[in-house]
Amino acid sequence: MGDRSYLGEFELMLLLAIIRLGEEAYGVPIVRELERHRKRYVSVGSVYAALARLETKGLIVSSLGDPTPERGGKAKRYFRITKDGLRQVQDTRRTLTSLWQTIPDLG
Amino acid sequence: MTSTKPPRIARWMLRHLMPAAYDEALAGDLLEEFCAGRPVLWYWRQVLGIISIRFMRELIAHRAALAFAVLWSMLAPGWLLAVAHLEMRVHFSDRLAGMDWPWSSVLDLGSLLVTNLIFLWAGILLYLLPDLWIAGRLKLRAVRSGIRASLPAVVVVWAALIVLPKHFLAVSAPESRASAGVASGVRPPRPWGAARIDDENVWAAYDRQLAAKHDEILSRAPAAPEHAPRVALLDLRLATQAARIPFFLVVLCTLWSAAQGPKNRQQWNGRVR
Repeated sequence: MGDRSYLGEFELMLLLAIIRLGEEAYGVPIVRELERHRKRYVSVGSVYAALARLETKGLIVSSLGDPTPERGGKAKRYFRITKDGLRQVQDTRRTLTSLWQTIPDLG
Repeated sequence: MTSTKPPRIARWMLRHLMPAAYDEALAGDLLEEFCAGRPVLWYWRQVLGIISIRFMRELIAHRAALAFAVLWSMLAPGWLLAVAHLEMRVHFSDRLAGMDWPWSSVLDLGSLLVTNLIFLWAGILLYLLPDLWIAGRLKLRAVRSGIRASLPAVVVVWAALIVLPKHFLAVSAPESRASAGVASGVRPPRPWGAARIDDENVWAAYDRQLAAKHDEILSRAPAAPEHAPRVALLDLRLATQAARIPFFLVVLCTLWSAAQGPKNRQQWNGRVR
């Protein structure tokens, strides 16, 4: 427990988006997924900065796809969650759920 | 409004100012979204966001250099005044006054530039000195690259390095030679366009007037500067702050270039799917 850092809100959202998108998790669908659920503008730069941070922590891994002409010959970078990442998401979910259960009805 | 191609300037900025950590995938994502119908404004907003994130990360990575540049530039007015005190003691302005143009101006500006460079290079060395204790040797490569980087930076802000310190000295030490012109005892050249005046009487009157002013200033005892170097360290007046700016910029640019780059830079692996 002590050697594990907590996930930030944005990091958790990114990990969930990557899990949901599965094999198709690269920049564009991740940004669209976040915008759809958050209902607000998402900066691609901040998504990439957070993805780089998650990869440094070993929670995701990335790999380059083939360059495609519709992207100006630029390759897509696909992201995949690791076992550590999955465990971290489950831990966070468990913690948040148990915390929410202690909160009285806010409505 | 939509277009088939993203704005050229934004693409150029993305290519040159995008963090090294982000590879082509990010540029490809932006292009894909743009071609899918995102507006030009969206593209610009994304590019500016990426660049600002890059600079924030770099600033954080170079926070030690940033803090040192602030502290070192705080000392600059004190250094300028200390040199001005010394020059007044050795009657440097009188010696300059005795020289012919252009040597008087060359020596005047050149000595101020050398004074500034000594201060800047001392700062660079001081910043890199802890390596002596940590690594057991001074990183000569870092010193060399720091000094090399300081030269273009000095050239870029050369005018500011001369003009702003001169303005500061003119305010804080009006009798120093750095305040230049008649006020420092240096005899100024004839005004621009004066060569077209043919009347010798006009020239003679102008020279007499200058000579009288010159003699009057030289006959006055040198006044003590308004501020002691020690006091100037905490002086927050506009002229003093303006004199600090070029020193801050040069020290920051130099140390930034001398550094290896942000330590937390993420390198994507190059695996192909």
